[in-house]
Amino acid sequence: MAALAEGGAPIALDGSRKARRSLTKARIRWVIAALILVFGAVSARLVQLGLVEQDNTIEGQTRDLITATRPPILDRNGLELAVDIRVPSLFAEPRRIIDVEEAAQAIHSVLPDINIDWLRQRLTGDKGFVWIKRELTPALQERIMQLGIPGLDFVTESKRFYPGGSESSHILGAVNIDNQGIAGMEKEMDDESVALLQSLGLARGNELEPVNLSIDLRVQHVMHEVLTDALSRYRAIAAAGVMMDVKTGEIISLVSLPDFDPNNPVTALEKDRFNRITSGIYELGSTFKTVTLAGALNSGKVRITDSFDARFGVRFGRFTIDDFHGKHRILTVPEIYKYSSNIGAIKVMQALGKDDFRAFLSTLGFDKPAPLELPERRRPTVPAKFSEIVAATASFGHGLSVSPLHMLRAMAAFVNDGNMVTATLYKRSVEEARKDYVQVVTPQTSEEMRYLMRLNALEGSGTRMNKFAAGYRAGGKTGTAEKVVKGRYASGVNFNVFASAFPLDNPRYAMVILVDEPKAENAQSGATSGWNAGEATGRIVQQVAPMLGISPDFSEVLDQQLVPTQLR
Amino acid sequence: MIRTLNVVLVITSIAALVGVYALKYSVGETASEKTAIEHQIDRQEADLSLLKADWAFLNQPANVAPIVTRHVAELNLQILAQDQFGRFDTLPMRMKAPDMNALDGLFESLDAGVDPIQQLITESE
Repeated sequence: MAALAEGGAPIALDGSRKARRSLTKARIRWVIAALILVFGAVSARLVQLGLVEQDNTIEGQTRDLITATRPPILDRNGLELAVDIRVPSLFAEPRRIIDVEEAAQAIHSVLPDINIDWLRQRLTGDKGFVWIKRELTPALQERIMQLGIPGLDFVTESKRFYPGGSESSHILGAVNIDNQGIAGMEKEMDDESVALLQSLGLARGNELEPVNLSIDLRVQHVMHEVLTDALSRYRAIAAAGVMMDVKTGEIISLVSLPDFDPNNPVTALEKDRFNRITSGIYELGSTFKTVTLAGALNSGKVRITDSFDARFGVRFGRFTIDDFHGKHRILTVPEIYKYSSNIGAIKVMQALGKDDFRAFLSTLGFDKPAPLELPERRRPTVPAKFSEIVAATASFGHGLSVSPLHMLRAMAAFVNDGNMVTATLYKRSVEEARKDYVQVVTPQTSEEMRYLMRLNALEGSGTRMNKFAAGYRAGGKTGTAEKVVKGRYASGVNFNVFASAFPLDNPRYAMVILVDEPKAENAQSGATSGWNAGEATGRIVQQVAPMLGISPDFSEVLDQQLVPTQLR
Repeated sequence: MIRTLNVVLVITSIAALVGVYALKYSVGETASEKTAIEHQIDRQEADLSLLKADWAFLNQPANVAPIVTRHVAELNLQILAQDQFGRFDTLPMRMKAPDMNALDGLFESLDAGVDPIQQLITESE
C-alpha cells in the first residue's frame, strides 16, 4: 500500500496462494458459463418442444372425427336397424417407407383391386399420412401386418352396417365413408345432435345411447314383402306404402320401392329410387273423395242422409265430367262414396262451397310439406285459390298433388275422432302425442267417416281388400288416377292408391298403399285400384294385425254399430 | 465428520439414482402393458361389434323369412288364417262333476288300443 501512495507504478506480486485463488475463480466462471449454456440449451429445447404442434389431422380431418361412432338405431321393439362395426383402415406414412416398389408390390398382392401405379405414386413423397384403403376386414388386416412393411399402419374406424339391407332404406337413409349422415334419419340425427358430439370428440366407443324409432321391423318386413310381390304380380313400375298409429302419429312402417341398399349408398342415386311417400307428390284420385266428404259432413251443410242428383255429367264449358262406373241416378251420400261417383263428389263439394273446401284443405295441412323428421320432403301443389272447375276436379282428387303422407295424416285424423296428429319416426306415447292434437273434424264426422270407409270395404271398391283382411274390420277408399303422360291424361296408365284404416270399431292404424302403373294380374282381373293397391292392403292387414295385437272378430254387430243412428 | 456425511450423501444419491431408474423402467413397462391391454380391448370391442352386427343380421326378419320359406313344404307352414284364432270366452266352462260315462268310454277305447288324438285328427281330415 505504501507504493501506491508514493505515485509509482504499482508492482503487484501475487503470492502463490493468490494466484491459485484467481485460477479457481476463472474455473468457476467457466463452469458457470458452461452450466448456463447447457441449461439454456435444455430450456430452449423444452420451449421448442412445447411449440411443436401435434398434427392430429388425417388428410384434413381430425382423428376423433374419423373414429367417431354413431348411435345404434333400433326399432320400437329393440331390434337393430343400424349398428356400428369397428373396422381397420390401412394408411401409409410415405416418408418412412424405404422401398416404394417393394411396398407397392406387397400391398398389391393382398389388395389386388388397387391400381399398382396409383399405389406407387401414393407411397412416394414426403407426406406424413395417406390413406391406402379404408374399411378392410380383420382378415386382410392380419395379412398386411404379416407383410412387415415399415410405414404402414391401421386406424380403427367405425363403419355403419344395416343388417336389414334395403328393407328400411328410405327411413334410415345412409352415411358417407366418414360416418356422416347423408340421407334419411341418419342425416336428421346429425342435424340434431350427433354431428356436434362427433366434432367435440365425444362420440367414441360404444357409449352413445341407442335411438329408438317408431318403426316396427316385423310390420316393415311384411309391407316390404307384400309390395315387392305386388311389383312383380301387377308388373308395376313402383309401389310404396306407409302405416301410422293414428293415436300417437308414430310411423309403424314406410316402404318405397324401388329402394336401395344403405350399405352401398351409391345405389340410392339411381333413377327412381326416391322416397315416394314423403318426397313424391301425386294426384291421389278418388281417395280424395274421403277428404271432400269429411269436409262437407263436418261443415253441417251436407248430412249423411242427404241425396244428390248424379243422373247427368257436370258441364264446365267444353268439358263434361262423368262417372267411371256411372249409376246415373240419385245417389245418397254413402252411395256416392261406395260407387266413387265423381258427379256426386262435385255436388257435395258445391254444397260445401269451393272456398270452404279450399280452407278445409289448409286445415288438413295440404299447403305445406307434411311434418316428419325425414329431410326428403316436398311441398304439395295445391292451387292457392280454387276456380269452379279446379274445385270440381279437386273434389275427386285431380288437379292437385299432395304426398301420400299428407293423405295418411288426414285419414288418421278422420278415424281418430277428428284429432290430427303430427307424424313422427321417433317413439312417442299417446300422452305426448295428445299435446299436439289438432281437431280437424268433429267426433261425429269421424264416426260417419268410419262408417263410410267400412261400408266401402263391405260393398264398394274395397271388397277385394276385405277378402284378405276379413275379420280385422278394415276399411278404406280406392283411388285410380290416370297418369299425365306428355301433358295429357293417358288412359290405361294408372296411378293407384288405397287409403285405409283398421280396425274401424276402435281405429288404431291408418295406411296408404300406392302402386304405380299396375297391369291386370290375369285376364279375369282389372287394373283399377281395388285389384292391386286394395289387395296389397288386405294382404298386409291380414299378416300384420295379429302382430299388432288385433284379433279377428267376425261378429256382425261390430259393423252394425258403425252405422250412424240416422241410417239404422 | 464431513467425510462421513459425504459418504452418506454419495450412497443416498446412488440409491436414489437406482431407485429413479428402476421407477422409470417400471413405469415404461406399465405403460407398454397398458397400451397392450388397450389394444386388446380395442380388438375385442371390434370383434364384439362384429358379433353384434352378425347377431343383428341373423335376427332380422329379412334373414329369417327366407329360412321359413325354405321349410314351408317340409313343415307344412301356412299363414295364420283369421278363423284359426280363439278366445278364452269361447272355451266351454269346466263341468261341475266329471262325466263318468264319458270317462269310462275313454278308458275302454284306450284299453282297446285306440289313440283318441289320432282319431280326432283323422275325423277332421
